[in-house]
Amino acid sequence: MTDQLILAVEACDVKNEVICAPSNVLDLFEFKEALFSIGPLDFTRTVVLTFFAMFLVLAFFYFGLRRQELHPSKFAMIVEGLVGFVRDDVARDIIGHEDGPKYTPYLVSLFAFILVANSFEVFPFVNFPLTSRMAIPLFLSLVTYVIFVFVGFKKQGFRFLTDTIWPKSVPIGLRWLVGLIELVSVFILRPITLAVRLFANLVAGHLMLTLLLASGVIFVQNIGEIGVRSGIGVIWFAFGLAIWVFEVVVVVLQAYIFTLLSAVYIQTSVHSAH
Amino acid sequence: MQFLLTAQTLILATAEDEGSGADLLLPATPELIAGVISFSIIFLMVWRWVLPTLNETLEKRQEAEKSRLEAAEVAKQEAESLLGDYRSQLAEAKTEAGRIVDEARQTAESVRQEAVGKAQTEADEILARARDEAAAESERAMAGARSEVANLSVDLAEKVVGQSLDRETQLGLVDAYLRDLESDSK
Repeated sequence: MTDQLILAVEACDVKNEVICAPSNVLDLFEFKEALFSIGPLDFTRTVVLTFFAMFLVLAFFYFGLRRQELHPSKFAMIVEGLVGFVRDDVARDIIGHEDGPKYTPYLVSLFAFILVANSFEVFPFVNFPLTSRMAIPLFLSLVTYVIFVFVGFKKQGFRFLTDTIWPKSVPIGLRWLVGLIELVSVFILRPITLAVRLFANLVAGHLMLTLLLASGVIFVQNIGEIGVRSGIGVIWFAFGLAIWVFEVVVVVLQAYIFTLLSAVYIQTSVHSAH
Repeated sequence: MQFLLTAQTLILATAEDEGSGADLLLPATPELIAGVISFSIIFLMVWRWVLPTLNETLEKRQEAEKSRLEAAEVAKQEAESLLGDYRSQLAEAKTEAGRIVDEARQTAESVRQEAVGKAQTEADEILARARDEAAAESERAMAGARSEVANLSVDLAEKVVGQSLDRETQLGLVDAYLRDLESDSK
Protein backbone atom coordinates (compact mmCIF):
# COMPACT_ATOMS: atom_id res chain seq x y z
CA MET A 1 0.00 0.00 0.00
CA THR A 2 2.91 2.28 0.69
CA ASP A 3 4.04 1.79 -2.90
CA GLN A 4 0.57 2.67 -4.04
CA LEU A 5 0.67 5.89 -2.04
CA ILE A 6 4.19 6.66 -3.18
CA LEU A 7 2.98 6.26 -6.74
CA ALA A 8 -0.06 8.39 -5.97
CA VAL A 9 1.95 11.16 -4.35
CA GLU A 10 5.15 10.96 -6.30
CA ALA A 11 4.92 14.68 -6.75
CA CYS A 12 5.04 15.11 -2.94
CA ASP A 13 6.97 18.29 -2.24
CA VAL A 14 8.95 17.22 0.82
CA LYS A 15 10.71 20.59 0.99
CA ASN A 16 7.53 22.60 1.49
CA GLU A 17 4.73 20.21 2.47
CA VAL A 18 4.38 18.77 6.00
CA ILE A 19 2.50 15.65 4.92
CA CYS A 20 2.23 13.76 1.67
CA ALA A 21 -1.32 13.41 0.42
CA PRO A 22 -2.37 11.91 -2.90
CA SER A 23 -3.85 14.27 -5.47
CA ASN A 24 -6.85 11.94 -5.75
CA VAL A 25 -7.91 10.09 -2.61
CA LEU A 26 -9.52 7.35 -4.68
CA ASP A 27 -6.06 6.17 -5.64
CA LEU A 28 -5.81 4.79 -2.10
CA PHE A 29 -8.93 2.68 -2.51
CA GLU A 30 -9.45 1.81 -6.13
CA PHE A 31 -7.57 -0.92 -7.90
CA LYS A 32 -9.03 -0.87 -11.37
CA GLU A 33 -6.28 -2.83 -13.02
CA ALA A 34 -7.28 -6.47 -13.43
CA LEU A 35 -4.52 -8.88 -12.43
CA PHE A 36 -6.35 -11.52 -14.51
CA SER A 37 -9.88 -12.23 -15.66
CA ILE A 38 -12.14 -15.25 -15.59
CA GLY A 39 -15.01 -14.69 -17.99
CA PRO A 40 -16.62 -11.36 -17.19
CA LEU A 41 -15.08 -11.17 -13.71
CA ASP A 42 -11.99 -9.01 -13.46
CA PHE A 43 -9.71 -10.12 -10.66
CA THR A 44 -8.48 -6.79 -9.34
CA ARG A 45 -6.39 -6.66 -6.16
CA THR A 46 -9.58 -6.14 -4.11
CA VAL A 47 -11.31 -9.13 -5.72
CA VAL A 48 -8.30 -11.37 -5.13
CA LEU A 49 -8.14 -10.20 -1.50
CA THR A 50 -11.87 -10.91 -1.08
CA PHE A 51 -11.38 -14.53 -2.13
CA PHE A 52 -8.25 -14.69 0.02
CA ALA A 53 -10.33 -13.52 3.00
CA MET A 54 -12.86 -16.24 2.23
CA PHE A 55 -10.13 -18.88 2.19
CA LEU A 56 -8.74 -17.56 5.46
CA VAL A 57 -12.16 -17.83 7.11
CA LEU A 58 -12.72 -21.35 5.72
CA ALA A 59 -9.25 -22.47 6.81
CA PHE A 60 -9.71 -20.88 10.24
CA PHE A 61 -12.89 -22.88 10.80
CA TYR A 62 -11.64 -26.05 9.15
CA PHE A 63 -8.35 -26.32 11.05
CA GLY A 64 -9.97 -25.21 14.29
CA LEU A 65 -12.81 -27.71 14.30
CA ARG A 66 -11.86 -30.72 12.17
CA ARG A 67 -10.31 -32.86 14.92
CA GLN A 68 -13.18 -32.75 17.43
CA GLU A 69 -10.69 -33.24 20.24
CA LEU A 70 -11.74 -33.93 23.80
CA HIS A 71 -8.90 -31.67 24.90
CA PRO A 72 -8.79 -28.89 22.28
CA SER A 73 -5.56 -27.18 21.26
CA LYS A 74 -5.15 -23.44 21.88
CA PHE A 75 -6.09 -22.67 18.28
CA ALA A 76 -9.17 -24.89 18.48
CA MET A 77 -10.15 -23.11 21.68
CA ILE A 78 -9.92 -19.73 19.93
CA VAL A 79 -12.11 -20.93 17.02
CA GLU A 80 -14.62 -22.60 19.36
CA GLY A 81 -14.60 -19.52 21.58
CA LEU A 82 -15.32 -17.21 18.65
CA VAL A 83 -18.16 -19.31 17.27
CA GLY A 84 -19.48 -19.92 20.78
CA PHE A 85 -19.35 -16.19 21.52
CA VAL A 86 -21.52 -15.27 18.52
CA ARG A 87 -23.83 -18.25 19.11
CA ASP A 88 -24.35 -17.64 22.83
CA ASP A 89 -23.70 -13.96 23.50
CA VAL A 90 -25.10 -12.52 20.29
CA ALA A 91 -27.63 -14.89 18.69
CA ARG A 92 -29.06 -16.54 21.79
CA ASP A 93 -28.86 -13.65 24.25
CA ILE A 94 -30.27 -11.03 21.88
CA ILE A 95 -32.69 -12.92 19.62
CA GLY A 96 -33.65 -15.50 22.26
CA HIS A 97 -33.18 -19.16 23.14
CA GLU A 98 -35.90 -20.29 20.79
CA ASP A 99 -35.26 -18.21 17.68
CA GLY A 100 -31.58 -17.42 18.19
CA PRO A 101 -30.16 -20.70 16.85
CA LYS A 102 -31.91 -20.19 13.47
CA TYR A 103 -29.88 -17.05 12.82
CA THR A 104 -26.60 -18.29 14.32
CA PRO A 105 -25.11 -19.49 10.98
CA TYR A 106 -25.74 -16.09 9.40
CA LEU A 107 -24.36 -14.14 12.36
CA VAL A 108 -21.26 -16.35 12.72
CA SER A 109 -20.53 -16.01 8.98
CA LEU A 110 -21.08 -12.27 9.20
CA PHE A 111 -18.74 -11.79 12.14
CA ALA A 112 -15.99 -14.02 10.76
CA PHE A 113 -16.08 -12.53 7.26
CA ILE A 114 -16.17 -8.89 8.41
CA LEU A 115 -13.47 -9.53 11.01
CA VAL A 116 -11.06 -10.93 8.40
CA ALA A 117 -12.02 -8.33 5.78
CA ASN A 118 -11.44 -5.56 8.36
CA SER A 119 -8.25 -7.06 9.69
CA PHE A 120 -6.57 -6.65 6.29
CA GLU A 121 -6.30 -2.99 7.29
CA VAL A 122 -3.71 -3.79 9.93
CA PHE A 123 -2.29 -6.89 8.25
CA PRO A 124 1.35 -6.14 7.30
CA PHE A 125 1.93 -6.26 3.52
CA VAL A 126 -1.80 -6.28 2.80
CA ASN A 127 -2.71 -3.00 4.51
CA PHE A 128 -6.05 -2.68 2.81
CA PRO A 129 -9.42 -3.25 4.49
CA LEU A 130 -11.88 -4.85 2.09
CA THR A 131 -14.69 -3.18 4.00
CA SER A 132 -13.36 0.24 3.01
CA ARG A 133 -14.89 -0.60 -0.36
CA MET A 134 -18.65 -0.21 -0.37
CA ALA A 135 -19.40 -3.57 -2.02
CA ILE A 136 -19.09 -5.83 1.02
CA PRO A 137 -20.71 -3.58 3.70
CA LEU A 138 -23.57 -2.74 1.34
CA PHE A 139 -24.19 -6.35 0.36
CA LEU A 140 -24.09 -7.58 3.96
CA SER A 141 -26.34 -4.80 5.27
CA LEU A 142 -28.82 -5.57 2.48
CA VAL A 143 -28.83 -9.23 3.50
CA THR A 144 -29.57 -8.19 7.10
CA TYR A 145 -32.26 -5.84 5.79
CA VAL A 146 -33.93 -8.53 3.70
CA ILE A 147 -33.81 -10.96 6.64
CA PHE A 148 -35.31 -8.62 9.21
CA VAL A 149 -38.02 -7.28 6.89
CA PHE A 150 -38.94 -10.80 5.72
CA VAL A 151 -38.93 -12.20 9.28
CA GLY A 152 -40.93 -9.20 10.53
CA PHE A 153 -43.72 -9.75 8.03
CA LYS A 154 -43.58 -13.51 8.50
CA LYS A 155 -43.78 -13.38 12.29
CA GLN A 156 -46.01 -10.34 12.83
CA GLY A 157 -47.83 -10.15 9.53
CA PHE A 158 -48.99 -6.75 8.42
CA ARG A 159 -48.78 -5.51 12.01
CA PHE A 160 -45.01 -5.29 11.53
CA LEU A 161 -45.66 -2.32 9.23
CA THR A 162 -48.69 -0.83 11.02
CA ASP A 163 -47.08 -1.01 14.46
CA THR A 164 -44.09 0.87 13.05
CA ILE A 165 -46.19 3.56 11.39
CA TRP A 166 -48.76 3.82 14.21
CA PRO A 167 -46.89 2.99 17.45
CA LYS A 168 -49.57 2.42 20.11
CA SER A 169 -47.25 3.08 23.07
CA VAL A 170 -46.82 6.72 21.97
CA PRO A 171 -49.40 9.45 22.89
CA ILE A 172 -51.86 9.77 20.05
CA GLY A 173 -50.93 13.34 19.17
CA LEU A 174 -47.35 12.39 18.49
CA ARG A 175 -48.08 9.03 16.96
CA TRP A 176 -47.99 10.14 13.33
CA LEU A 177 -44.65 11.94 13.86
CA VAL A 178 -42.95 9.09 15.70
CA GLY A 179 -44.45 6.69 13.15
CA LEU A 180 -42.95 8.68 10.29
CA ILE A 181 -39.56 8.80 11.97
CA GLU A 182 -39.73 5.07 12.72
CA LEU A 183 -40.77 4.25 9.17
CA VAL A 184 -37.83 6.14 7.71
CA SER A 185 -35.48 4.82 10.41
CA VAL A 186 -36.41 1.14 10.12
CA PHE A 187 -37.00 0.74 6.41
CA ILE A 188 -34.64 3.29 4.89
CA LEU A 189 -31.93 4.36 7.31
CA ARG A 190 -31.09 1.05 9.00
CA PRO A 191 -29.44 -0.61 5.99
CA ILE A 192 -27.68 2.59 5.02
CA THR A 193 -26.32 3.39 8.49
CA LEU A 194 -25.31 -0.22 9.00
CA ALA A 195 -23.28 -0.22 5.79
CA VAL A 196 -21.89 3.31 6.09
CA ARG A 197 -20.83 2.89 9.74
CA LEU A 198 -18.58 0.00 8.82
CA PHE A 199 -17.42 1.47 5.54
CA ALA A 200 -16.64 4.95 6.91
CA ASN A 201 -14.72 3.65 9.92
CA LEU A 202 -12.49 1.52 7.76
CA VAL A 203 -12.03 4.26 5.13
CA ALA A 204 -10.97 6.68 7.85
CA GLY A 205 -8.64 4.17 9.46
CA HIS A 206 -7.05 3.21 6.18
CA LEU A 207 -6.60 6.84 5.22
CA MET A 208 -4.98 7.73 8.53
CA LEU A 209 -2.62 4.77 8.42
CA THR A 210 -1.51 5.20 4.83
CA LEU A 211 -1.07 8.97 5.08
CA LEU A 212 0.91 8.80 8.31
CA LEU A 213 3.03 5.72 7.61
CA ALA A 214 3.72 6.53 3.97
CA SER A 215 4.53 10.19 4.75
CA GLY A 216 6.88 8.92 7.43
CA VAL A 217 8.65 6.67 4.95
CA ILE A 218 8.81 9.28 2.18
CA PHE A 219 10.21 12.00 4.47
CA VAL A 220 12.85 9.69 5.92
CA GLN A 221 13.78 8.36 2.47
CA ASN A 222 14.52 11.91 1.34
CA ILE A 223 16.88 12.61 4.23
CA GLY A 224 19.74 13.41 1.83
CA GLU A 225 17.71 16.09 0.16
CA ILE A 226 15.92 17.69 3.12
CA GLY A 227 18.21 16.94 6.09
CA VAL A 228 16.71 17.67 9.52
CA ARG A 229 13.25 18.14 7.98
CA SER A 230 13.06 14.37 7.58
CA GLY A 231 12.46 14.31 11.35
CA ILE A 232 8.83 15.12 10.46
CA GLY A 233 8.73 11.67 8.94
CA VAL A 234 9.79 10.05 12.21
CA ILE A 235 6.96 11.85 14.03
CA TRP A 236 4.40 10.81 11.41
CA PHE A 237 5.59 7.22 11.51
CA ALA A 238 5.43 7.01 15.32
CA PHE A 239 1.97 8.56 15.25
CA GLY A 240 0.99 6.07 12.54
CA LEU A 241 2.10 3.14 14.72
CA ALA A 242 -0.01 4.45 17.62
CA ILE A 243 -3.01 4.73 15.27
CA TRP A 244 -2.25 1.18 14.08
CA VAL A 245 -2.81 -0.13 17.62
CA PHE A 246 -6.03 1.86 17.83
CA GLU A 247 -7.14 0.46 14.46
CA VAL A 248 -6.66 -3.12 15.69
CA VAL A 249 -9.38 -2.34 18.24
CA VAL A 250 -11.57 -0.66 15.60
CA VAL A 251 -11.25 -3.71 13.33
CA VAL A 252 -12.65 -6.05 15.99
CA LEU A 253 -15.17 -3.57 17.34
CA GLN A 254 -16.72 -2.74 13.97
CA ALA A 255 -17.12 -6.43 13.10
CA TYR A 256 -18.81 -6.93 16.47
CA ILE A 257 -21.06 -3.86 16.10
CA PHE A 258 -22.22 -4.90 12.63
CA THR A 259 -23.06 -8.41 13.88
CA LEU A 260 -24.68 -7.11 17.06
CA LEU A 261 -26.88 -4.60 15.22
CA SER A 262 -27.91 -7.24 12.69
CA ALA A 263 -28.98 -9.42 15.62
CA VAL A 264 -30.83 -6.52 17.26
CA TYR A 265 -32.69 -5.70 14.01
CA ILE A 266 -33.66 -9.36 13.58
CA GLN A 267 -34.78 -9.46 17.20
CA THR A 268 -37.13 -6.50 16.72
CA SER A 269 -38.73 -8.40 13.85
CA VAL A 270 -38.94 -11.72 15.68
CA HIS A 271 -40.52 -10.24 18.80
CA SER A 272 -43.10 -7.54 18.49
CA ALA A 273 -42.02 -4.46 20.44
CA HIS A 274 -45.50 -3.83 21.79
CA MET B 1 -11.22 13.27 13.84
CA GLN B 2 -11.19 10.30 11.50
CA PHE B 3 -14.63 11.07 10.19
CA LEU B 4 -13.72 14.72 9.66
CA LEU B 5 -10.62 13.74 7.79
CA THR B 6 -12.57 11.29 5.65
CA ALA B 7 -15.28 13.80 4.93
CA GLN B 8 -12.72 16.43 4.06
CA THR B 9 -10.80 14.17 1.74
CA LEU B 10 -14.02 13.00 0.15
CA ILE B 11 -15.06 16.60 -0.48
CA LEU B 12 -11.60 17.45 -1.78
CA ALA B 13 -11.62 14.42 -4.00
CA THR B 14 -15.06 15.29 -5.33
CA ALA B 15 -14.00 18.83 -5.98
CA GLU B 16 -10.88 17.76 -7.81
CA ASP B 17 -12.37 14.98 -9.84
CA GLU B 18 -16.04 15.19 -10.66
CA GLY B 19 -17.94 12.05 -9.59
CA SER B 20 -15.06 10.32 -7.80
CA GLY B 21 -16.68 10.78 -4.36
CA ALA B 22 -19.74 8.95 -5.59
CA ASP B 23 -17.40 6.31 -6.98
CA LEU B 24 -16.18 5.67 -3.48
CA LEU B 25 -19.73 5.14 -2.25
CA LEU B 26 -20.88 2.98 -5.16
CA PRO B 27 -19.96 -0.68 -5.08
CA ALA B 28 -17.75 -1.90 -7.91
CA THR B 29 -19.41 -4.81 -9.72
CA PRO B 30 -16.46 -7.27 -9.62
CA GLU B 31 -16.05 -6.62 -5.88
CA LEU B 32 -19.76 -7.11 -5.31
CA ILE B 33 -19.70 -10.42 -7.18
CA ALA B 34 -16.60 -11.56 -5.24
CA GLY B 35 -18.22 -10.51 -1.97
CA VAL B 36 -21.48 -12.33 -2.72
CA ILE B 37 -19.68 -15.53 -3.76
CA SER B 38 -17.28 -15.46 -0.80
CA PHE B 39 -19.94 -14.75 1.78
CA SER B 40 -22.26 -17.41 0.33
CA ILE B 41 -19.52 -20.03 0.52
CA ILE B 42 -18.64 -19.02 4.08
CA PHE B 43 -22.32 -19.11 5.05
CA LEU B 44 -22.77 -22.57 3.51
CA MET B 45 -19.75 -23.88 5.37
CA VAL B 46 -20.81 -22.37 8.69
CA TRP B 47 -24.40 -23.57 8.27
CA ARG B 48 -23.72 -27.09 7.02
CA TRP B 49 -20.40 -27.91 8.71
CA VAL B 50 -19.07 -25.47 11.35
CA LEU B 51 -22.05 -25.36 13.72
CA PRO B 52 -23.03 -29.06 13.41
CA THR B 53 -19.38 -30.05 13.95
CA LEU B 54 -19.01 -27.76 16.94
CA ASN B 55 -22.24 -29.03 18.49
CA GLU B 56 -21.13 -32.62 17.88
CA THR B 57 -17.75 -31.91 19.46
CA LEU B 58 -19.36 -30.32 22.50
CA GLU B 59 -21.78 -33.25 22.84
CA LYS B 60 -18.91 -35.73 22.59
CA ARG B 61 -17.01 -33.77 25.17
CA GLN B 62 -20.03 -33.74 27.48
CA GLU B 63 -20.52 -37.49 27.04
CA ALA B 64 -16.85 -38.13 27.71
CA GLU B 65 -17.08 -35.98 30.79
CA LYS B 66 -20.20 -37.82 31.90
CA SER B 67 -18.67 -41.27 31.37
CA ARG B 68 -15.53 -40.09 33.11
CA LEU B 69 -17.62 -39.01 36.10
CA GLU B 70 -19.50 -42.31 36.04
CA ALA B 71 -16.25 -44.27 35.88
CA ALA B 72 -14.94 -42.22 38.78
CA GLU B 73 -18.13 -42.95 40.72
CA VAL B 74 -17.81 -46.70 40.05
CA ALA B 75 -14.14 -46.63 41.01
CA LYS B 76 -15.05 -44.74 44.19
CA GLN B 77 -17.69 -47.31 45.10
CA GLU B 78 -15.27 -50.14 44.39
CA ALA B 79 -12.66 -48.48 46.52
CA GLU B 80 -15.18 -47.98 49.32
CA SER B 81 -16.29 -51.62 49.25
CA LEU B 82 -12.65 -52.71 49.13
CA LEU B 83 -11.93 -50.49 52.09
CA GLY B 84 -14.87 -52.07 53.95
CA ASP B 85 -13.56 -55.53 53.08
CA TYR B 86 -10.11 -54.63 54.27
CA ARG B 87 -11.47 -53.14 57.45
CA SER B 88 -13.53 -56.24 58.30
CA GLN B 89 -10.59 -58.45 57.37
CA LEU B 90 -8.37 -56.40 59.58
CA ALA B 91 -10.85 -56.64 62.44
CA GLU B 92 -11.07 -60.42 61.92
CA ALA B 93 -7.32 -60.67 61.84
CA LYS B 94 -7.08 -58.67 65.06
CA THR B 95 -9.59 -60.94 66.81
CA GLU B 96 -7.79 -63.98 65.48
CA ALA B 97 -4.45 -62.64 66.64
CA GLY B 98 -5.90 -61.93 70.10
CA ARG B 99 -7.30 -65.41 70.26
CA ILE B 100 -3.98 -66.92 69.21
CA VAL B 101 -2.09 -64.84 71.78
CA ASP B 102 -4.55 -65.88 74.51
CA GLU B 103 -4.23 -69.50 73.52
CA ALA B 104 -0.48 -69.27 73.49
CA ARG B 105 -0.56 -67.60 76.87
CA GLN B 106 -2.76 -70.34 78.26
CA THR B 107 -0.59 -73.05 76.74
CA ALA B 108 2.50 -71.41 78.13
CA GLU B 109 0.87 -71.14 81.54
CA SER B 110 -0.16 -74.80 81.56
CA VAL B 111 3.28 -75.84 80.33
CA ARG B 112 4.85 -73.78 83.04
CA GLN B 113 2.56 -75.20 85.71
CA GLU B 114 3.23 -78.71 84.45
CA ALA B 115 6.96 -78.10 84.54
CA VAL B 116 6.78 -76.56 87.98
CA GLY B 117 4.64 -79.46 89.23
CA LYS B 118 6.99 -81.99 87.75
CA ALA B 119 9.99 -80.27 89.23
CA GLN B 120 8.26 -80.10 92.57
CA THR B 121 7.43 -83.79 92.46
CA GLU B 122 10.97 -84.66 91.47
CA ALA B 123 12.35 -82.47 94.19
CA ASP B 124 10.00 -84.07 96.72
CA GLU B 125 11.02 -87.52 95.53
CA ILE B 126 14.70 -86.67 95.77
CA LEU B 127 14.16 -85.24 99.22
CA ALA B 128 12.22 -88.28 100.37
CA ARG B 129 14.80 -90.61 98.96
CA ALA B 130 17.56 -88.64 100.66
CA ARG B 131 15.70 -88.75 103.91
CA ASP B 132 15.15 -92.49 103.66
CA GLU B 133 18.76 -93.05 102.78
CA ALA B 134 19.88 -90.90 105.68
CA ALA B 135 17.56 -92.76 108.03
CA ALA B 136 18.78 -96.14 106.81
CA GLU B 137 22.37 -95.02 107.13
CA SER B 138 21.77 -93.77 110.59
CA GLU B 139 20.04 -97.07 111.47
CA ARG B 140 22.94 -99.00 110.07
CA ALA B 141 25.44 -96.85 111.96
CA MET B 142 23.42 -97.26 115.14
CA ALA B 143 23.34 -101.06 114.79
CA GLY B 144 27.05 -101.14 114.06
CA ALA B 145 27.78 -98.98 117.05
CA ARG B 146 25.53 -101.03 119.24
CA SER B 147 27.30 -104.36 118.41
CA GLU B 148 30.67 -102.71 118.77
CA VAL B 149 29.77 -101.30 122.18
CA ALA B 150 28.45 -104.71 123.24
CA ASN B 151 31.63 -106.46 122.20
CA LEU B 152 33.74 -103.85 123.92
CA SER B 153 31.64 -104.15 127.06
CA VAL B 154 31.95 -107.91 127.10
CA ASP B 155 35.68 -107.74 126.55
CA LEU B 156 35.94 -105.20 129.31
CA ALA B 157 33.83 -107.25 131.68
CA GLU B 158 35.91 -110.37 131.01
CA LYS B 159 39.01 -108.48 131.82
CA VAL B 160 37.45 -107.05 134.94
CA VAL B 161 35.88 -110.27 136.17
CA GLY B 162 38.78 -112.32 134.99
CA GLN B 163 36.75 -115.04 133.70
CA SER B 164 35.24 -115.69 130.50
CA LEU B 165 31.63 -115.50 130.54
CA ASP B 166 29.55 -117.36 128.26
CA ARG B 167 29.87 -115.11 125.36
CA GLU B 168 26.38 -115.50 124.03
CA THR B 169 24.83 -114.89 127.40
CA GLN B 170 26.95 -111.82 127.92
CA LEU B 171 26.03 -110.34 124.60
CA GLY B 172 22.41 -110.98 125.49
CA LEU B 173 22.84 -109.10 128.70
CA VAL B 174 24.48 -106.16 127.03
CA ASP B 175 21.79 -105.97 124.42
CA ALA B 176 19.19 -106.01 127.12
CA TYR B 177 20.95 -103.32 128.98
CA LEU B 178 21.34 -101.13 125.92
CA ARG B 179 17.70 -101.55 125.11
CA ASP B 180 16.89 -100.45 128.59
CA LEU B 181 19.14 -97.45 128.12
CA GLU B 182 17.48 -96.56 124.83
CA SER B 183 14.04 -96.88 126.31
CA ASP B 184 15.13 -94.82 129.30
CA SER B 185 16.63 -92.13 127.10
CA LYS B 186 13.41 -91.95 125.14
